[in-house]
Amino acid sequence: MVNRQRMILVCQGTGCISGGAEQLLSSLKREVAKLNLGESIEVKRTGCHGFCQRGPLVVTEPEGFFYSKVKPDDITEIARSQLPGGKPVERLFYRDPITDMPIPYYRDIPFYSRQQRTVLRNCGNIDPEDIEDCLAVDGYQGLRKALHEMTPEQIIREVKQSGLRGLGGAGFPAGRKWEACRRAPGDEKYVICNADEGDPGAFQDRSIMEGDPHSVLEGMITAGYAIGAKQGFIYVRAEYPLAVKRLRVAISQARNKGFLGRNILGSGFDFDIEIFQGAGAFVCGESTALVLSIEGKRGMPKPLPRPRTAEVGLWGKPTLLNNVKTFCNIPLIIIHGSEWFAAKGTERSKGTAVFSLTGKVVNNGLIEVPMGITLREIIYDIGGGIPGGKAFKAVQTGGPSGGCVPASLLDMPVDFDSLTAAGSMMGSGGMVVMDEDTCMVDIARYFLNFTRRESCGQCVPCRVGTKQMFDILDDITQGQGRLEDIDLLLELGEAVARSSLCALGQTAPNPVLTTIRYFRHEYEAHIHEKKCPAGICQALSSPQGLN
Amino acid sequence: MEKIALTIDGLNIVADKGMTVLETALRNGIYIPHLCYHPDLKPSGVCRLCLVEVGDEQLVTSCRMKVEQGMVIKTKSPEVDKVRRAIVELLIADHHTDCRNCPSSGQCELQRIMASLHISVKRMRPLKWAREELPRDTSNPFFDYDPNKCVLCGICVQTCEVVQGTSSLYFVGRGYGTKVAFFANKSRCESCRQCVARCPVGALIPKTVR
Ligand SMILES: Cc1cc2nc3c(=O)[nH]c(=O)nc-3n(C[C@H](O)[C@H](O)[C@H](O)COP(=O)(O)O)c2cc1C
Ligand code: SF4
Repeated sequence: MVNRQRMILVCQGTGCISGGAEQLLSSLKREVAKLNLGESIEVKRTGCHGFCQRGPLVVTEPEGFFYSKVKPDDITEIARSQLPGGKPVERLFYRDPITDMPIPYYRDIPFYSRQQRTVLRNCGNIDPEDIEDCLAVDGYQGLRKALHEMTPEQIIREVKQSGLRGLGGAGFPAGRKWEACRRAPGDEKYVICNADEGDPGAFQDRSIMEGDPHSVLEGMITAGYAIGAKQGFIYVRAEYPLAVKRLRVAISQARNKGFLGRNILGSGFDFDIEIFQGAGAFVCGESTALVLSIEGKRGMPKPLPRPRTAEVGLWGKPTLLNNVKTFCNIPLIIIHGSEWFAAKGTERSKGTAVFSLTGKVVNNGLIEVPMGITLREIIYDIGGGIPGGKAFKAVQTGGPSGGCVPASLLDMPVDFDSLTAAGSMMGSGGMVVMDEDTCMVDIARYFLNFTRRESCGQCVPCRVGTKQMFDILDDITQGQGRLEDIDLLLELGEAVARSSLCALGQTAPNPVLTTIRYFRHEYEAHIHEKKCPAGICQALSSPQGLN
Repeated sequence: MEKIALTIDGLNIVADKGMTVLETALRNGIYIPHLCYHPDLKPSGVCRLCLVEVGDEQLVTSCRMKVEQGMVIKTKSPEVDKVRRAIVELLIADHHTDCRNCPSSGQCELQRIMASLHISVKRMRPLKWAREELPRDTSNPFFDYDPNKCVLCGICVQTCEVVQGTSSLYFVGRGYGTKVAFFANKSRCESCRQCVARCPVGALIPKTVR
């Protein structure tokens, strides 16, 4: 790698690519060559910056100018701006959505300045297909330290003390899982990275794999050393071709550098990683279904009581299953120590959380925030508030089976336990903002339609219960609601949550239960007055009498 | 054989180590409703009817829970009743109601469960009844399959697989659309009719009956 001072970084995440960023990158390279600047300016491909809504994104270094919505016609100007004495391309600066003032620098944009990007630290800054770029930052430093200076027990102690909780949904303490897996008898063990990410609209894990695949690998290799495994699998959704491609490139480069394979970094430890492409069913993200799916069987969750996957997992062997983001935190915990990590977040939820912020919010995108930040800070400071001067109504967190949190809870801290107490959950990090024009009955129906279709169908409460609840909600939105329907939904919701076999059914009623808890009057308006207060349900009259 | 002492519904019971809570209860004359349990098969835990309260309010499927020393089990508590009743009502709302013309009437587990919980169709929650009648599968030479009566307990599928070592029956579809189907290659069916004999409801019916 030539150490060129000046850089033009072109985002090549899935979002920016769909906006034409691949063509931008090649034209920019051509332009730089044409201007004979190849020696002094490096044009670099990066992963996702998170602000996909503003894409395609281009950043120039060392100044840190941030250009948004860049088009092929802008390329020459951007290239020339990097010439000695060149001027930044002001018309491409991001503008504050409220004041309309241009904000030239990446670091000053509120969307970024209020975030704490640690897991996402490399996303958008390094070339994900060039291991040298990753090594130039802190790539594989954690693994080096782990293999050369620490015993597996020390690593596990460090992970335990950090307080890191699994970021794939349930928030189970990572260190405890690692310890259980290390202690489980047997020489053959496996590490699996859960990159199924089946939640509609979520793209956190995808962006990380596309933008910083080596961090995932490094976390997994360290885990393999800690629990005593020689083989790892990454279970990726088949719909993520770019993530798969970048992971493949990363794995082969890591093998060439001796981070994977036999005798890693001369430590005597052997480990390799294979990619497994999932068939796409949402339920295959559930731990036992995922394991069956890799074994080539039908991905159906296994009921409790049963041994934990950490003890009896893939092919009956002890298996450590963690989410992409959980693994990405590991190198940082190893490098900086558990105290550094535990200093961030709240008493019981340490570190940061990554969310896909979407819906009725000015700034949509991928964000990373310290645990314990309030919903208000996320939605108003980072998200820039609700577009069009509309009022905030609710935010749904945790994917399709999360709950809807109302405005009265905007100052609630965002962490595992507070979200659960509010009837929602952290999930794997979906966050959908809704404004006053949203009908909460319709929203509950929408999410239940997803979960009922994704139910694997083996257990009665989830298979039949979600269908019944959906039918009732559908009737309410069609003006066919009955007086007893609200109580019926509450009773069924409780029964499905308490008796379903796996977490899909156990959490599926959340959107219904929370919308009844916080927005009962909307249900009543639909049923008693045959009105949809938000004016969404076509079969009902809207308050203004427009329909 | 090592003995385990536990209480079920306040009764002191001694069980053999390795037994499940459901087996222990049934053996001691305590009926716990169940549809997918069969003594010769692995407990799949999918019907969720045998949920019981273990210790403080945790609901666990008794078919998969092994007995432990000092365990306190409640097979009937307000909590258990509420959930179990809802599951049965969900099943009924999804089931054919023409018991009178069903050859299994009188030997049907679903009827037995309804009776034990005093559930009658008339006094059930106002659920939505299954709208469409699904066609019967008559492709097997020895018996027919009626999806409108099937509770998807999986006993037939497991029986064919484990007891007979064949696999002529399998699940198709997902979620609410799940059904049992026959493999097209009929020669695989040994016509042992074990699956029919074990069907807890009237979903698998020998051809001769009709
Ligand atoms: C229906 C269902 C879908 C799930 N999907 C995912 C997923 O896409 N990614 C994920 O990491 N965890 C998913 N989980 C959670 C996993 O079962 C498991 O808890 C997690 O992968 C463990 O990793 P962690 O401890 O690092 O969070 C899902 C769970 C359920 C019940
Ligand atoms: S809760 Fe739903 S997804 Fe989970 S096992 Fe039961 S039917 Fe399948």
